[in-house]
Amino acid sequence: MELFLQFCINGLMLGMMYALVAVGFTLFFGVLDVIVFSHGDTVMLASFTGLGMYRLLEFFHPGLGAGWVVFWVLAAAVAVVAVLGMLTARFIIMPLRGAPALNTLLATMMFGTALREAVRLFFPDGSNPKPFPRLLPDWSAQFGTLNLRFDNLVLFLTGALIIVLVHLLITRTKLGMAVRASAQDAEAAQLMGVNFRLIVLVTFALGSAAAAFAGVMNGLYYNEINFNLGLMLGAIGFSAAVIGGLGNIYGAICGGFIFAFLQTAGVAAMPFASAYKDVFAFGVVIVMMALRPTGLIAEQSSRRV
Amino acid sequence: MFQPLRIEHLSVAYGNARVLHDVSMEIPPRRITCLLGANGAGKTTLIRAVVGLTPPREGSITFDGIEISKLPPHRTAALGIACIPEGRRIFPKMSVQENLLMGAYLERSKSKVRASLEKVYNLFPRLAERREQAAGTMSGGEQAMVSIGRGLMHEPRLMIVDEPSLGLSPALVNDNFRIIRAVLEAGTAVFLVEQNVRQTLAVSSYGYVLAQGRVTACGTADELKNDPQVQKAYFG
Ligand SMILES: Nc1ncnc2c1ncn2[C@@H]1O[C@H](COP(=O)(O)OP(=O)(O)O)[C@@H](O)[C@H]1O
Ligand SMILES: [Mg+2]
Repeated sequence: MELFLQFCINGLMLGMMYALVAVGFTLFFGVLDVIVFSHGDTVMLASFTGLGMYRLLEFFHPGLGAGWVVFWVLAAAVAVVAVLGMLTARFIIMPLRGAPALNTLLATMMFGTALREAVRLFFPDGSNPKPFPRLLPDWSAQFGTLNLRFDNLVLFLTGALIIVLVHLLITRTKLGMAVRASAQDAEAAQLMGVNFRLIVLVTFALGSAAAAFAGVMNGLYYNEINFNLGLMLGAIGFSAAVIGGLGNIYGAICGGFIFAFLQTAGVAAMPFASAYKDVFAFGVVIVMMALRPTGLIAEQSSRRV
Repeated sequence: MFQPLRIEHLSVAYGNARVLHDVSMEIPPRRITCLLGANGAGKTTLIRAVVGLTPPREGSITFDGIEISKLPPHRTAALGIACIPEGRRIFPKMSVQENLLMGAYLERSKSKVRASLEKVYNLFPRLAERREQAAGTMSGGEQAMVSIGRGLMHEPRLMIVDEPSLGLSPALVNDNFRIIRAVLEAGTAVFLVEQNVRQTLAVSSYGYVLAQGRVTACGTADELKNDPQVQKAYFG
């Protein structure tokens, strides 16, 4: 029982992280019908920006309170990655509108590779895994054999808060209404007075900011980061978005948790083969896609973005 | 009172395919001006050029004295041009009410938006009943109402109407013409493209005939009714 709960907690943590990445994939697809393959590497860049900020603070402000350190690490990651997202939209995605979708796919894939290589080459000793600092107090509560870590709880609640905020922004605000309208019919939205280019930038800032949280979360959860972590997280986030039906935010969130559940269930069911948990999870995703090609939430009943 | 929409020597192309050649027109305030022409004549293309969706190759378009031929659509919308586009183009997964609110996207005053919403719901009680329904699940006639209502929410100075009645029953078509007349009475200029030539000329003051991307006839509604070319093509 306790073991089961422990698995659940781990699954929820991972699911939140995946959901944050998947939301970006699904937002970008919703508004521009593109798959942004560099999105995973955006997550990686957020981890490294966070680490870089931490080192700067350590050097220039050694006595800074823990709360402020967390704040600045997050702020730096979010700011850098949100701006990068907007630049990607402005200089890679928008110029390729009207070209075959394959071109965008290739361009973003190459851009992701460039990001990965840049971090590997330019971050001090970037090709080796880096320890990620423990920014949160390592309190934990023990219930029997169940170990509830305080930092995990914080991460989970923060992730949930971000997702709720994105959701409220999209469904309850005028800006969100413009994003949804642009996703459903960009030309008609423009006729209503929506500045489409601006909406694209906002969407990319938003999706990338969510990914930045996932990046910092990833560092805090595993206590280690490396330059190619975006490959796996990107593949998982993309799968999660596809499972949920690309373009659908709720679907992407569910997809993230489903993927994490599959990984955790894989480990729980076959503890002897835990190294194969990703193989198992991706295998199930392939089967799911074969059975429900449009994703779990059918397009008709869902609200795209 | 604004100056008319003036189109001068307009040429528009999609890639290499030139669709409009040297088209000139004037759409004055407080009038309904209609545009007649067979399928593929270039009516929708002309409208796309005016609103900024397909920038023209040559020529000028001025609205209220401002050159608009190079403005993006959201800027022409901000000048007070509303468009009920071909194919209705409602937002299918948004509710009826959200669709209407999108029509008033540029209006900052909440009380004005509320007043417009009230007006549109009075005009289309059917939409008031269905305000929470996803617009994409409505019938063709209801979707036309959403598209027209959305345009009215804009409180435009010029309303461009591109065949909202396509595929509707005669009763619904009559309703649409009644609405268009009401729009005119509210002081808005209307640029109208409709399939039903008899009814279109009956509500219009002036009209243009487009054939293969060129203006081949123009005149008051009465002149056009008696024009041999129009007679032959539409009343034959
Ligand atoms: N997006 C497009 N790309 C290329 N050609 C187009 C496009 N849209 C319309 N056309 C062509 O332009 C011509 C005029 O079309 P259109 O303006 O839709 O006419 P109408 O509205 O009078 O029926 C047609 O020959 C049509 O095939
Ligand atoms: Mg047309």
